[in-house]
Amino acid sequence: MTKTYSEINEKIRNGNVVVLTAEEMIDFVDEHGVKVAADEIDVVTTGTFGPMCSSGAFLNFGNTDPPIKFEHLWLNDVHAYHGNAAVDCYIGCTRMADISPFEYGGGHVIEDLVSGKPIRLKGNSYTTDCYPLAEVDTEFTIDDINQAILCNPRNGYQRYVCAVNSSEKTIYTYMGKLLPNFGNAHYAGAGSLSPLSNDPDYETIGLGTRIFLGGGIGYVIGEGTQHSPSNRFGTLFLKGNLKQMTPEYLRGVTYEKYGTSMFVGVGIPIPILNEGLAKKTAISDENLLTDVVDYGVPRRDRPKLRQVTYKELKSGSIELNGKKIKCSSLSSLFHSRKIAETLKNWILNGNFLLNPPAETLPTDTIFKTMKLTSELKFVKDLKKDAEICYEDCDVKIVAEKIVRKNTNHIVIIDREHTLKGIVTSFDITKAIAEDKHELNEIITKRVFTTKDNEPISNAARKMKINKISALPVIDDERKVVGIITSEELM
Amino acid sequence: MTVINVTLPFGLIKKVDDYSKIINVILEQHISVNILKFSTGRSGINLLLDIPEDKINSITEALKKNDIIVNKKGRVIIDIDLCIDCGACVSLCPTDALHMDEKGLLEYSLERCLGCGLCIDACPRSAIEET
Repeated sequence: MTKTYSEINEKIRNGNVVVLTAEEMIDFVDEHGVKVAADEIDVVTTGTFGPMCSSGAFLNFGNTDPPIKFEHLWLNDVHAYHGNAAVDCYIGCTRMADISPFEYGGGHVIEDLVSGKPIRLKGNSYTTDCYPLAEVDTEFTIDDINQAILCNPRNGYQRYVCAVNSSEKTIYTYMGKLLPNFGNAHYAGAGSLSPLSNDPDYETIGLGTRIFLGGGIGYVIGEGTQHSPSNRFGTLFLKGNLKQMTPEYLRGVTYEKYGTSMFVGVGIPIPILNEGLAKKTAISDENLLTDVVDYGVPRRDRPKLRQVTYKELKSGSIELNGKKIKCSSLSSLFHSRKIAETLKNWILNGNFLLNPPAETLPTDTIFKTMKLTSELKFVKDLKKDAEICYEDCDVKIVAEKIVRKNTNHIVIIDREHTLKGIVTSFDITKAIAEDKHELNEIITKRVFTTKDNEPISNAARKMKINKISALPVIDDERKVVGIITSEELM
Repeated sequence: MTVINVTLPFGLIKKVDDYSKIINVILEQHISVNILKFSTGRSGINLLLDIPEDKINSITEALKKNDIIVNKKGRVIIDIDLCIDCGACVSLCPTDALHMDEKGLLEYSLERCLGCGLCIDACPRSAIEET
């Protein structure tokens, strides 16, 4: 049997609509089968609550007297984007405060705004004949401004990867804190509760779909940026009136050493128009797959280590290389469930009607990478021959070589050419000052290294973070194949 | 391996060598040990140690005999008003002191927490504080 949107809406108005959350639908279909489910269930509600970096809000403050046309403006010290008309702006959630970056950002401004807290607005202008005011410094709340529109270019990823770290140090990423040597794993998304997982062919979710957004009502206004349906990484462009939303579902967050973002609560109703949708909305975590990806490799195409189901992810640990590693979510399952439940109640109470999309989302676009006009440089392109000494040689010989070769770094190797350490001209100076004669006493043995195929920018970051001026280039057997110094990078 | 949190009270430190008392007591057991964290607390020197699971009893006994405190009580405070039950801290907790209950709400077990502090900078809401 098939149903139409108007038939479902009629039932909502009459108070006899049957709504289940996506989790409840799994059990229902399991027990009664797809056919009965398609007959009896009218709507399945979904929900997700997780960090969504491509989020922000358009605000309009109204005009001052004399009027100002903002050139730059800050909300609680967070720089907002001003490239629109005089007193419009866009506050993005990943923009960090000038004064306390990594603590407070655009997402926090939006949370504070929705909470009704006063926001400090500072702005300036180059002034024009029609906009003569040069500066504004004021405070406002959400009730004082004309429009506050949440407008998120990319929300509600269909699924997301599970992140691990193969490297030897803890890394701080947008996937949270990842311990070295595969010490833990993080995933995102609500699995079987995720909106797009329940409508994977975008039959009902499209332009104009009315949704739960941030505790209020919002709309899908098209495909999200980087929408990649061909490999099931669909995304959504969402908007909604911020004035109706609640801070419970819009939370500013900070990921250590990564930056700020915002948790956004999204819930989408899926009308069960036919058996196909009944079957699709009954998808369980066991059948939702994603990749375990190594974030220890700082490249665009990070190694995919294995496929994993959301069931395994939600179990608290995943298996990798025969070892169990602790795994946790970055999205809140509790709040995702609460969103699906809230949306269900809105529909049951007759407060929320469903509408067909004016246009469906593209099903064949692919996610392209950035076109670069300059070629990416690798360590092998810029490295030079390393000046080397054997580990058993005298400090004086090292010193002589530094002078003769006019260099600051001598790489110390054994007879097999394996890296043993590094000595700098400063180490030699120190040796003289401290009256040390053994190479062993002055050599730095724990050396940061690089490899031929590492992009130059990654090697440069390694030097900057560790405050060093050179990296020996080694091969997979730790044999020295060159050196790269800050001089080559300049 | 299992993790223990031990404190060497300042009162026991009379001379420089006393600082290594904890390690010396453990080394007498002829085992290898990982020092996960070293910190100076209010009452003494804290060490967070990773030790072989089967040696936990003998090590605890030996430490206590030397007046070294083996801590079992919780060391972090979670601000539940700030917490959004995301779970970003859970995978970092070596003792499952931080875990999700069946509903998906964060649960913190004071008894299991060793105060390693690995969770603190993993919290996107800055809701975890060391005590």
